[in-house]
Amino acid sequence: MNFWETITGSDLTREWKAFEARAEALPADHRAAWEQIKVHLSPYSDFTGRNLMPILDGALGLLEETAADGQSIQEVLGDDVQGFCAALAGGEGARSYRDRWREQLNRNVARKLGQLGG
Amino acid sequence: MDDLTEMLKGTLEGCVLHIIDSEETYGYAITRRLNELGFADVVEGTVYTILLRLEKNGLVQVTKRPSGVGPPRKFYALNDAGREELVKFWAKWEYLSSRIDKLKEGGR
Repeated sequence: MNFWETITGSDLTREWKAFEARAEALPADHRAAWEQIKVHLSPYSDFTGRNLMPILDGALGLLEETAADGQSIQEVLGDDVQGFCAALAGGEGARSYRDRWREQLNRNVARKLGQLGG
Repeated sequence: MDDLTEMLKGTLEGCVLHIIDSEETYGYAITRRLNELGFADVVEGTVYTILLRLEKNGLVQVTKRPSGVGPPRKFYALNDAGREELVKFWAKWEYLSSRIDKLKEGGR
């Protein structure tokens, strides 16, 4: 990424166009899921949205792969697209209170295991 | 069985590690394996996010191979860190299941 691209975001525009071109080639239900994924991932975006690019690329790859397999979108994402997106974004500023509880529980179990010499 | 997903969530990562341990495999095959086991609610998207996490944590080795149709498939194999993590998972599982069994049997 050069200075001009950093300032104008022209590389992002180019990437977006490439994404949309790939999405165009998907079957209708997968394309609808792509639209949903974009919407549900947007809360995890940073200022420019640059952080989402690799995530979106991967998600689109999954849609392409599963479409080629002939899987229905129900088989791929189930009915929880939002949960899927939260898991995709995971870690990067997407931590919920439940993650913290889980971590705490894991820590406690690890400590117990240590005591037992396990 | 309904409503199993919540309970399964924390252990699914270990299950996926175990499946990859027996042979190098890809997302769709892992999902099918879990479905055959009786986890009908597990969809490929769920497995995909787990695989991403395993990759990010450096537990798997990823190889891209061309597939007959569509884009190349990502195949996953465990590396040493992954095998270590799997051993830890089974230790944790033993601990958890033995405690819960104990609770059910009324011991303390």
